[in-house]
Amino acid sequence: MKVSDLLNNGFEEITLPDGDREINGVYIGDLLSWVMGRAQQDNAWITIMSNINVIAVATLADTACVILAENVELPDDIKAQAEIKDVNVLKSSLPIYETAVRLHELLP
Amino acid sequence: MKELSLNILDITENSVKAGASLTSIIIDEENNVLKLTIQDNGSGMSEEILKGVTDPFYTTRTTRKVGMGLPLLKLAAEQTGGSMTVESVSIVDDPLSHGTKVEAMFYQDSIDATPLGDVVSTICTLIQGHPDTDFYFRHRILNQDKDILVEMDTRQIREVLDGVPLNEYEVIKWIEEYLNEQYAGPDDTEQDVT
Repeated sequence: MKVSDLLNNGFEEITLPDGDREINGVYIGDLLSWVMGRAQQDNAWITIMSNINVIAVATLADTACVILAENVELPDDIKAQAEIKDVNVLKSSLPIYETAVRLHELLP
Repeated sequence: MKELSLNILDITENSVKAGASLTSIIIDEENNVLKLTIQDNGSGMSEEILKGVTDPFYTTRTTRKVGMGLPLLKLAAEQTGGSMTVESVSIVDDPLSHGTKVEAMFYQDSIDATPLGDVVSTICTLIQGHPDTDFYFRHRILNQDKDILVEMDTRQIREVLDGVPLNEYEVIKWIEEYLNEQYAGPDDTEQDVT
């Protein structure tokens, strides 16, 4: 399933510079150094953190996208960095667990 | 990082990589405030590079585009309501007196505060990995119940050892015990007997 397929399925675009990326799993976490070593390539990463380091960790772990749960907003300057670094960012109005359940229903 | 001691390890490795012959790690805990200072006499940074060090997309590493050491320490400090600053004098600008100083302040009673973790093991890991560079370590804990000062200087230990490498197993073991004893404080039970 592509990152862009999440739109209209309860997920909203913040920025999608590389929307054609395939998602092959999900990782959840807010402690960035922990996520850095554990999120797998092509995972959708669900978090409530929204600072610039999130974009850096997404680059390092090469995740398919970042999903900000609970309608967490991404500041404009960080959104601009995400675009430059080709990091897809979406948001969900649901809490983390429900966001993960929704992804589970959608992923093949 | 789950523990600040891992941040300390990460930042100090940068000092060693910058060619520091001496790196000081100073932790000052007074009531709910923890101040961490890591100061080295390494090659330092130019003003331009210094501006970018807390940006995770800046790094001196060539193997990857992202450097997370200082950005994560800054985040850890700011999450508690504290702050982090970095000062540096480049060897190019001052060949005699150069180096970098990282200072971070944490409010330990913040719900998002990271525990300090195992500093003794961090210090031992540093000495083991870099037996030819010197480390000065000082940790003061001052609050209602405690007044502890832990201190160690590899320059002094080196003098006593007279040529024995600092990364010998027995030396590292001794340093570990030496630090742990200082944390434990004076032995009260022995005083009761006399």
